[in-house]
Amino acid sequence: MLCQSCEKRQATTHIKTIVNGELKEFMLCPECAGKLGYGSFFSSFGPDLDRLYGGFMDSYTPQVTGKRCPFCGSSFEDIANSGRVGCARCYEIFEDELMPSLQRIHGRTTHTGKLAASAGEAVKVQSEIDACRRELENAIKTQEFEKAARLRDKIRELEKKAAEQGEE
Amino acid sequence: MLNERTEPLKDVSDVVISTRIRFARNLQDYEFPCRLSVEKKCRVAATVKAAALGNPEYSSRFRYISMSELTQEEAVSLVERHLVSPEFISDRQGRGLLLMDNESVSIMINEEDHVRIQVIRPDLDLEGAFEIANKFDDMLDEQLGFAFSDRLGYLTQCPTNIGTGMRASLLLHLPALRESGAMGKISASLGKLGFTIRGMYGDSNDPKGAVYQLSNQVTLGISEKEAIDNLRDITMQLVVQERNAREAMSQNITVLDGLYRSFGILRYAKILTNDECWKLLSDLRFGVEIGIFENIDYDTINRLMIEVQPATLMKNIGKKLPALERERIRAELIRTAIARPKVPANRRLE
Repeated sequence: MLCQSCEKRQATTHIKTIVNGELKEFMLCPECAGKLGYGSFFSSFGPDLDRLYGGFMDSYTPQVTGKRCPFCGSSFEDIANSGRVGCARCYEIFEDELMPSLQRIHGRTTHTGKLAASAGEAVKVQSEIDACRRELENAIKTQEFEKAARLRDKIRELEKKAAEQGEE
Repeated sequence: MLNERTEPLKDVSDVVISTRIRFARNLQDYEFPCRLSVEKKCRVAATVKAAALGNPEYSSRFRYISMSELTQEEAVSLVERHLVSPEFISDRQGRGLLLMDNESVSIMINEEDHVRIQVIRPDLDLEGAFEIANKFDDMLDEQLGFAFSDRLGYLTQCPTNIGTGMRASLLLHLPALRESGAMGKISASLGKLGFTIRGMYGDSNDPKGAVYQLSNQVTLGISEKEAIDNLRDITMQLVVQERNAREAMSQNITVLDGLYRSFGILRYAKILTNDECWKLLSDLRFGVEIGIFENIDYDTINRLMIEVQPATLMKNIGKKLPALERERIRAELIRTAIARPKVPANRRLE
């Protein structure tokens, strides 16, 4: 289907929006979608996956590309075609295939934000160390040396804890 | 242009209409919504509903709405009020909504992810909105155990949300930047910095009013606080640019003439279409922002911008109306609100 905005390029992005009290759906090409402010997902993810997928087809037999997630049954082809990951486990199963795209979309590949309750002990300690380091930098900048000393001690303690965890 | 740090400005309600924080979260033991049958979606909805309503602190404050039971007007009105996404009402089977009594918190179940926690605050209040969203996230995580990987953070159906799963957005009114033709350039430079801006209402490249939504794009490898700080910095720079552009325009007789004409139409028109109304309300706000229309406050205009929309208008009246009747009521709503000085924000047209 052709893009409904420029009517020239192939449409890949499905947009849903409310116009005058009614739900309207339309299809856009990556370029127009980008111009209109609808996500950079397909422009950064799509071509990359196309290439990856093309690569599979060249060098592997169909059985190899037939790898599927044991939990939800998604193949990487399903994910690449729809732009949607099937389930949480897919991220492990297709880690190698997804990583280049994540790098392209976000510029980075490691989470540094909030931790869920289910996060591992090691990342929890590491995240606390990182937070203390940031606070320490600020304390030094604002010349709060007592606070800085306290933070340094705390970081040492946490690092010891992290090292012990590593040994276990 | 957009890379130096700007000191936070105190009151930016002349530019920032509202703040929204949204977290995308998923349950571990279910496929993501794109692969769920309606029956399984219903199970997810029941599980999330029980977790939220099971909390004694909030059980009385949340209302659960099964989306498939709403009329089309009620559903569209939720979008017009920014409580749910257009995507959420496109297929309402198996989808549920938890709505807080004051409508500041909405939890969408089975949108693109199993759980979407959304908090809306008036004006610029990123920290405030984040804190509230964070609280509900903790509460639900404790009971549901959201899908999380130590390396990739919160796992989401669309890889664009992975990591923090957080999208922070601000609704901005940028009439002078739009009028000066700068939006294309601004949008391109914001894109390079990891933000996206798009026009609300109508064609997002050429929106009916000058209301834009600015959001962060990157969610992996950046903390929530950094993302919020960056969004605020960029917004402050946009505010400064918009104010400079307004100052330059406030003496321009052609611009002023246009605004006074819009005011005249709003004040005396007997029927108003939705599209026309949007442009006129944007002009009205512009006039208030540069100080030519007095005795009209931002709260009134912000409220009108939502109440005049077709589905919300019909929902408030309580019945389905033909287009002409809607246009008549729309014009009446506006005449009533701006005819007298200072209409209290809580006053509704009966």
